[in-house]
Amino acid sequence: MKTLQANAGVLTNLEVLEFLRARGATSDPMGCLGAVAPSECKVFDHLVNTGACNQTRGAIDEFLKRCEKFKLAKAEKLNIINLRPSNQALIDPIIEYCEKRLTKDEARGIDEVQELVDLVLEVLPPPPAKPDEEMQALEETPTEKLMEEN
Amino acid sequence: MFCLSLIEHNLPLPPHLLNRPLLDAIKEELERLFLDKVISNLGLCISIYDIRTIEGGFVFPGDGSSTYKVVFRLIMFRPYVGEILCGKLKASDANGLHLSLGFFDDIKVPVHLLPLKSRMGEDGIWIWEHECGDLPMDLDEEVHFRVTKINYPPIPVEQDANANPFSPMEIIGEIYGDGLGLLSWWAD
Repeated sequence: MKTLQANAGVLTNLEVLEFLRARGATSDPMGCLGAVAPSECKVFDHLVNTGACNQTRGAIDEFLKRCEKFKLAKAEKLNIINLRPSNQALIDPIIEYCEKRLTKDEARGIDEVQELVDLVLEVLPPPPAKPDEEMQALEETPTEKLMEEN
Repeated sequence: MFCLSLIEHNLPLPPHLLNRPLLDAIKEELERLFLDKVISNLGLCISIYDIRTIEGGFVFPGDGSSTYKVVFRLIMFRPYVGEILCGKLKASDANGLHLSLGFFDDIKVPVHLLPLKSRMGEDGIWIWEHECGDLPMDLDEEVHFRVTKINYPPIPVEQDANANPFSPMEIIGEIYGDGLGLLSWWAD
């Protein structure tokens, strides 16, 4: 076995999810026995519970276009798309040297971190609601935006 | 979390697969060989993404199987150092926390990478002493952690009978910092 290219491209969680779905994976554990291996089923189950489940390529393209002004690294954009942080505290560990790169000036009313958070909340759909937890604001705008795009 | 790797492999195709369409037979053999296995420094193989070229089909003397040189791409699970991932807290002991991603279980957060003022309770649950109060790290909670290192320990020659099963890929994570740790600490 020879590795020709260790890194031939990164994939977002959405792309892996779509790939497995196209192969025939479903959430039903018995349904996907013939088409996909049990290990692939486990990956599918994990991804279906994250924010990737409701995303579309259009939403990701729009997010990438609109976050150009923040000058984020490719890895940071990928992390944000996969994780979908919903407030400033959650975005902070993703971006290196956050305080230096994204200005926060209350006197002039500029808060780039909050702008980035608002962009994430607006463009990327939230993860599916967990049945036994009370998650606030899950039924809000992002699903309407998705309907517009479709 | 996921990336593609381009691999070239000399694949012997066993004779009982020779009546199948070539592409299907090769894909099945590749899945049998690579799926759910860890390749050192490349990560955990999730799936065969596509097959780029198939060459050869030679039968070597004394061999019943034909050998093909296949170039293909694999979807690998290989987080980069510094990536933030979200896992479930599976176990907690004196060495630290054990997290799980469902399909991957060997994620450890050692004691020195926990938040600064953490202490262990009597029931084995770690507690973060925050000024707003004590925050326990209960099991089955969603935890955000940063990947600090990925280890690929070599296969041990001998193992004790009651040692932990060997894990070929280990992720060391940290939850020291703003926005890391239990999701319930930071969610609004």
